[in-house]
Amino acid sequence: MCALAALGLAGAGTAGGRAVAERSRLGDEIDPLFFAGDRVEGHPLVAVLRRSGDVEFVSFVYGDCAPLDDTGCAPPVEVQVWPACRRSIALYDSSPVGLDLERTTVRGVPGAVLDGGTRLELQTGRSTVVVFADSRARLTRIAGSLRPLDGGAGRGSALPAPAAGAVEGRLAC
Amino acid sequence: MLRISLAIALVVAAALDVAPALGHFDVTDRYTHRSCPASVANRSDPVNVVLTTWGTWGRAGSQIVAHAGWTATSGSTQSFVDHGGCFAMHTQRASGTGSRFHVRLRGQHQDPTLGWVAAASAHHEDLVLFPLPCGHAVDSNGAGGSGFDQGRDELERRLVAAGHVSSRVWWGNTQSFKQCDGDYASSDGWTAFVSLHQVNH
Repeated sequence: MCALAALGLAGAGTAGGRAVAERSRLGDEIDPLFFAGDRVEGHPLVAVLRRSGDVEFVSFVYGDCAPLDDTGCAPPVEVQVWPACRRSIALYDSSPVGLDLERTTVRGVPGAVLDGGTRLELQTGRSTVVVFADSRARLTRIAGSLRPLDGGAGRGSALPAPAAGAVEGRLAC
Repeated sequence: MLRISLAIALVVAAALDVAPALGHFDVTDRYTHRSCPASVANRSDPVNVVLTTWGTWGRAGSQIVAHAGWTATSGSTQSFVDHGGCFAMHTQRASGTGSRFHVRLRGQHQDPTLGWVAAASAHHEDLVLFPLPCGHAVDSNGAGGSGFDQGRDELERRLVAAGHVSSRVWWGNTQSFKQCDGDYASSDGWTAFVSLHQVNH
């Protein structure tokens, strides 16, 4: 059973505060839990989404967009954090069609750039962090802004090395 | 001379709104777009179904009608990227006009491995009337995942029940999309590859 809960950020409390509150509701499945702060690339944190079950992630949505009838819209920036046992770069190895995946290293951890430089996936600790933005340059800057939700490593510093088996997709949930 | 000929062919193809027959399934853009030219800002839905083997868009539309009963054709136009070009969908099918299953399709040329191929974005959407009417919004949650997952799962289930072979491929296109009701929906990242038959049945 999957549930996607959108936490509106209108009302009392900062976006970061709401994100921290959300963190306390999570178990250890997603560890570490990273976000890009209350604001990134000029866009405020507007929603914290959580999806649970077989598909499990926390998403930090930055900036707004204007959906229409029958037509959704893509927010300017999104940071999704998945348990590495659910999502890893290894999942792309079995694709029968060629995907434009470019392996890279960001802040000392392995990653991949996809979708023409508009998606970055990083393996850190027992998590996979996925960044969506409109350019590779912006992905790079956002990656530099990532920090643990509950404090710890600062912006720009090396990220925790991936847990053994995480990159290979061999972690058990 | 060959480069010039190819360039001319591409220009003509673009003018005719025809994707060039470059001989392989293009998966560089795994989203549909609300307009052309395609950009990240105008992404709208994840592509989550690929019809293969005899996956011409005509067959896809016919076999979706035949096996899923999705006979309605109403809905907004979205576009797909194919070999660097942005082209309007070829067709769409839906299970009704209110809350419904809905799929948009765009055919591509033959792939040496997959055969004839059509890319599709399937979803389940609610007709939002309260508190403010806004039209159709893809489900953000539900018993079977998001509306994108529900649409893909239902279409796949119907086609498999009719004897078609299906498999799943990880594309990771899980970007969230804001819907007109203010909620967000995202694919779970898995794309169903479903083989179609030559003869409509």
